[in-house]
Amino acid sequence: MIKGSTRRLLVGLAAVAVLASACSTGATTAPATAAPATAAPATAAPATVAPPTTYKIGYSNAGGVGNGFREEQVCTAKAEALASGQVSELTVIHQNGTAAEQLQQIRDLIAKGVDAIVFNPNDAAALNPALTEAKTAGIVTVSVDAYVTDPDTYNLYNNQVEYAKLGAKWLFEQMGGTGTVYYMRGYAGHPADNDRHKGFLEVLAQYPNIKVVPNNDGVATQWDPAITTTLINDFLSSGQYETIQGIWTSGMDSIVVDAIKAANKPFVPIVGADLGAFVKQLLDPVGYPGLVGAAVTNTAAVGGAGVGLALKLLNGETVTTDPTASQPNTVLLKPVVAENVTDQGKALLKSWQVDGLDPNWPLGLQIEGYTTYTPAQAVACKGPND
Amino acid sequence: MTATAGTVETAGAQPTEALARWARRNAWSLGLLAFFAALLVFTKFIQPSYGVTGVQGLAISVLPLALAAVAQAIVVISGGIDLSIGSMMALTNVVAASLMLGRSDEFAVVVVVGVLLLGLVLGAVNGALVVLTRVPDIVVTLAMSFVWAGCALLVLKTPGGGSAQWLKDLVLGPLGNEWIPKAAIVLVLIVGLIWWAVRRSRFGLSLYAIGSNQLAAFRSGVSVGRAKVFAYALTGLFAAFAGLSLTASTGIGNPLSGSYTLQSVAAVVLGGVSLAGGRGGAFGPIVAVLILALLRTDMTFLNLNPNLATSAQGIILIGVVMVGTLFQIRRGRP
Repeated sequence: MIKGSTRRLLVGLAAVAVLASACSTGATTAPATAAPATAAPATAAPATVAPPTTYKIGYSNAGGVGNGFREEQVCTAKAEALASGQVSELTVIHQNGTAAEQLQQIRDLIAKGVDAIVFNPNDAAALNPALTEAKTAGIVTVSVDAYVTDPDTYNLYNNQVEYAKLGAKWLFEQMGGTGTVYYMRGYAGHPADNDRHKGFLEVLAQYPNIKVVPNNDGVATQWDPAITTTLINDFLSSGQYETIQGIWTSGMDSIVVDAIKAANKPFVPIVGADLGAFVKQLLDPVGYPGLVGAAVTNTAAVGGAGVGLALKLLNGETVTTDPTASQPNTVLLKPVVAENVTDQGKALLKSWQVDGLDPNWPLGLQIEGYTTYTPAQAVACKGPND
Repeated sequence: MTATAGTVETAGAQPTEALARWARRNAWSLGLLAFFAALLVFTKFIQPSYGVTGVQGLAISVLPLALAAVAQAIVVISGGIDLSIGSMMALTNVVAASLMLGRSDEFAVVVVVGVLLLGLVLGAVNGALVVLTRVPDIVVTLAMSFVWAGCALLVLKTPGGGSAQWLKDLVLGPLGNEWIPKAAIVLVLIVGLIWWAVRRSRFGLSLYAIGSNQLAAFRSGVSVGRAKVFAYALTGLFAAFAGLSLTASTGIGNPLSGSYTLQSVAAVVLGGVSLAGGRGGAFGPIVAVLILALLRTDMTFLNLNPNLATSAQGIILIGVVMVGTLFQIRRGRP
């Protein structure tokens, strides 16, 4: 048996732990409050088809609280709910949890009697019981950023096969169809990483004179800055860098560029994602002389687009789905590539930049056809009931 | 002190007096129940549409934590603590999900029985280590929580597996009346039957005895070591029930446990189980879990940040322990 003091310590510990976890997540939910307060005019479009303004929407995000990609999703959802002028109340549950805990989040939203639930799923199959209950209650459900296997839920996410293809094609063309590429992948086993690998190999098969190092499986950066830094520094110091003519990265791009610069080596063409830091490097010929690269969009505005899609479904509008997707009722977002070689590409890169955006947030704050807010509204991170 | 003692006393007393004594002894649980009822009324007030869907959702949501809280209550009553409950839940959850994937319904019955036995074994290992090594139980079970968590990751690297349909149907939806959730019946049956049997057995008596005063229990002829191992094994069994309830409600196995361990400690404290051991039951912690879950739901209804509910939980926890200690001092108990 343990002493009373130890027990008191344990209770204190338990209490402090729950408090600390709550406070830490609570603090990270508001990154945009520091942004310039250029509050855009609220509810801008009342003059269209006069849709009802009484929808109640629930939003569940049960993972990656504090991660720029997820924070941007939630903020764009709030911005779209506000800008659409059709949402009277947006209830956001933005709290890390397991699939079992996300089930409770969705059931709470059902009990609240919302008209639609938009969520970023923690698992492809585990949420299905609650989604069936939502359908019975007449609630529209939209899964963003990844798909769920529930046949009545709409899915909306980035086409990651296409993402890899666009970048790889640009890179291989830039290299004149011949040479060696260092292949830096994402998180081993993640669905997005699997899809990107599929796209990369498809394009590679069309370029017989392109060789991949260390092999066609590439290396896993795990989307982790520390692991990426180790990988690229080992590659640079071992002299292998001199044998390649291009680098394909699955994000983590600006870290690789900075490492090459620090090693004082000439740049080879590089592909990355549309993260603020990388786009800034591509548009800075003084700081990064000779840097040639391309950024592929991987928008986090899927949160806002999910709200937009839910509104379309509630209003009975037709939605164009993609029959090539693994699930029915899927909207695949098409990525776009922009390089810093042509004036046209540079202009596109410049157009993506957003003032006041957190450097850890992806650019590409809007999705055509699904979002109506201004970038400033997304940065402001305010919903209709905030 | 125990139910047996209680029945002897009440046999000769006036019915009203017996009722009063019963109420006094269960004052904390009854108070919690009243608070839960008030919270339900408050919920109905802020969300007039709260009804069947809400009650069904509440019942299935609280099932894993309610079972975990009962598991923790048993070991705390015996004077110990188990910080590996969350990891045991994860391990039993993934073992069940990985074995059931693509197999027949009949095979799933074997899996369920096997997983429950596995829970007993995991708990018995915890208990044996506590008794044999004489290392404080808080250290042993914390260490074992990493061992069981590692085993869970060996079974399944990422969330996956499956569940038999009958297991999913066992906890989903109503039975008969739409207001009666199957999950609640499952909880009442599991806890009611096992707890009832334990309370009436010699083991139940020794459970409270070693929790109240180990030396006195030893001098009265209780085998302290055996009773302890038994308590931990029973905790492991309930952790396995909780793990299976995760498999049933999500249909998959997840090797990463949620925050069930610390939440179970919180529920036990709120539920009137003395952390010093020897006092409390299974009913209080379950009502505490219901209150904590409904508080979260109300936060959603009120459009408040759900993380506030977690903060509120921590503050209530500290408050309850402080008030409880104050009462103990007043009564002159150590």
